[in-house]
Amino acid sequence: MRTPLIIAAVLVALAAVPPFLGLGLQNALVNVLIASLFALAFNLLIGQAGLLSFGHAAYFGVGAFATLHLMRIIEDGVIDFPTPLLPLAGAVAGLVVGAIAGFFATMRSGVYFALVTLAIAELFHALAPRWQGLFGGEAGLSSMRMPWGGITFGSTLQVYYLTLGWVAISIWVLWAYTRTPFGRLTLALRDNEQRVRFLGYNAHATKVIVFAVSAMFSGIAGALQATSNEVANYSLFSSHVSAQVVLYTFVGGSIVFFGPLLGAAIFTLFAYLISDLTRSWLLYQGLIFVLVMLYAPAGIGGIVQTHARHWQRLDWSRLAGPYALGGLGGGLVAAAVVFLTESLGVLFDEAYAVARRGAGGGYPPFEAFGIPWDPLSPVTWGVPLALFVVGLVLLLRARRAIAERWDAVRSAPAVPAAGPGPDARTASTQQIAG
Amino acid sequence: MEFVVISTLNGVIYGLLLFMVSAGLTLIFGMMGVLNFAHASFYMLGAYVAYTLSGLFDFWVGLLVAPLVVAGVGILVERFMLRRVHAFGHAHELLLTFGLALIFEELIKLFYGDFPVNYQMPEALRFAAFTVFDTDYPFYRLFIGVVAVIMFAVLFVLLARTRIGIVVRAAERLPKMAESLGHNIPLVFMGVFGVGAALAGLAGAVAGAYFPTNPNMALELGVIVFVVVVVGGLGSLKGSLVASLMIGLFSSFSIGLDWSLAGLFDLVGLGAWAHSLGGLMTMTVSSISGTIPFLLMLIVLLVRPAGLMGDRN
Repeated sequence: MRTPLIIAAVLVALAAVPPFLGLGLQNALVNVLIASLFALAFNLLIGQAGLLSFGHAAYFGVGAFATLHLMRIIEDGVIDFPTPLLPLAGAVAGLVVGAIAGFFATMRSGVYFALVTLAIAELFHALAPRWQGLFGGEAGLSSMRMPWGGITFGSTLQVYYLTLGWVAISIWVLWAYTRTPFGRLTLALRDNEQRVRFLGYNAHATKVIVFAVSAMFSGIAGALQATSNEVANYSLFSSHVSAQVVLYTFVGGSIVFFGPLLGAAIFTLFAYLISDLTRSWLLYQGLIFVLVMLYAPAGIGGIVQTHARHWQRLDWSRLAGPYALGGLGGGLVAAAVVFLTESLGVLFDEAYAVARRGAGGGYPPFEAFGIPWDPLSPVTWGVPLALFVVGLVLLLRARRAIAERWDAVRSAPAVPAAGPGPDARTASTQQIAG
Repeated sequence: MEFVVISTLNGVIYGLLLFMVSAGLTLIFGMMGVLNFAHASFYMLGAYVAYTLSGLFDFWVGLLVAPLVVAGVGILVERFMLRRVHAFGHAHELLLTFGLALIFEELIKLFYGDFPVNYQMPEALRFAAFTVFDTDYPFYRLFIGVVAVIMFAVLFVLLARTRIGIVVRAAERLPKMAESLGHNIPLVFMGVFGVGAALAGLAGAVAGAYFPTNPNMALELGVIVFVVVVVGGLGSLKGSLVASLMIGLFSSFSIGLDWSLAGLFDLVGLGAWAHSLGGLMTMTVSSISGTIPFLLMLIVLLVRPAGLMGDRN
């Protein structure tokens, strides 16, 4: 299919474009790559084995700390170790800790598995700030990248290429893994564990291996972050890190191999681009996540995959209209929500309270999006509310029309059953095998 | 002696507070199989709503109305969100509540800022209940405990002695059967979710006036409440009462103890060796008191996942 071509094009772009970008964007791309690898490693568990981990920050953090210890040893001149191979330390640490944690965690399944992983990550988070020798206490550890083989590893661009190399190879290995017989066995575990056991496989050992492999690649992601930032502290173990990777994976779509990558790339880039403009980025992130859970449980990747699979049968002359309508409706709703959120953010800020005192307790105009607004004017609130309602109506109409057209596509003969975005199946029923 | 008495009092009262929050969580899990990540957010919401209302009206108005407001939020969440994703499986329900917890936290930050708000108990309640070892023991702490005990009594009577309680327990054990007998199970689920949220909201409204009310309170308490519910046995109300008191006592005693593993080795004459190892060996119980609940939860999950009093696996 066209997939190899797309991948080649993305790789070429990732290799060729960054030299022409600013320092900030180069740094952001490093973070995008690391987040992508982390999300794909995480998805090995939920997407392949059906195990939902709420504590993957543990293995990310362990990888980062292991790498920093190695960097400090190199810095002290105890051993000579090639800088480009630093993430190996993260890989080994992730694998070992993952195997131990995985052995215990996979004794349980479902909610109990999620709770064990959560408890393990919280243990690390509570212990790390107290453990001076291993985790550097509350301040954490820091070190320097040493030059090696004529390369200084001083510039962001060099770090970027190092990261790109590691991430590309790791993703390729992860993808190849899903194609092996063992990768297939993990899928079978997700769909029907009992049958796997009856076939004579050792389910627990299989799960431990998958867990360890997932932790190993998380460790590599953490190692790359440590190599790039040259510091690490206990906040790497926080539930915030575990939460982010869950968000990336499910918004991107956990049932498609490249879905989590999509989610990680979109969220990380957006965070870089708009974090200076708004303080409510995390709120938008949460809203997007909940909306995806409610209306498109297969995620963005799932929607893309469904469209790609039915591409030949889609009659775009009939679909384009409703899609455009839906896009317009969604845009209006989003604009209204963003305007209201940002306005409320300004109005409830401490600075506005000061401005009110300055105005003698009245309601002075506030500034949002570079324009002053009158908080008492009905226009300020009426227009966005009207936009919201209009957008919602458009969205609902478009959704009905799209569902009708898709039903026609799905009920057509000789097509494997798969739903469109709004009613796509969950991971347990939809096969990735296609 | 002073340490023991004060720690016991504080531990029991902290435990009772934990119980107020975990009671709803364990009820909801027992009935719907949903581990509600947003449950501690209801606790936070209760504190902030009560703070707002106490500023507009009166402390007591806040205390009484906040649980109702939070119950309303809970009912909306159950009716329009959880029920929608129910068809996609438990993992999606879990993830949905997880996303809601993030949204609640950010909304609170949007309206009230990142820092603690000044939510205070009324002057009428600000006095010493009694004096132990020259220390005035604040009455409000006892008040928190009394509210929790009353709540437990009401809940127990409601579940064990009334017709509603029978229907709820039937819906928990055999939902299909109860529905065939003509009971409106979705309504029961919605009601239980609302009551659970209200209990957490009440806890927030009561405790927020004594402990800091800040946007992190949900995160901080949330994990501990999971520990309580797991240790007590998911779905068991009595279990979570016992576990709450246990965790409460554990945490209030452990902050005052400077025991360490090296100290244990001292007893058998290997102290010097253990001290030279450093690391885990020399960490005192007080410095790692935060880890004890998680260790306990791990052990329970691995050894007896049904918890102390749970009957299912």
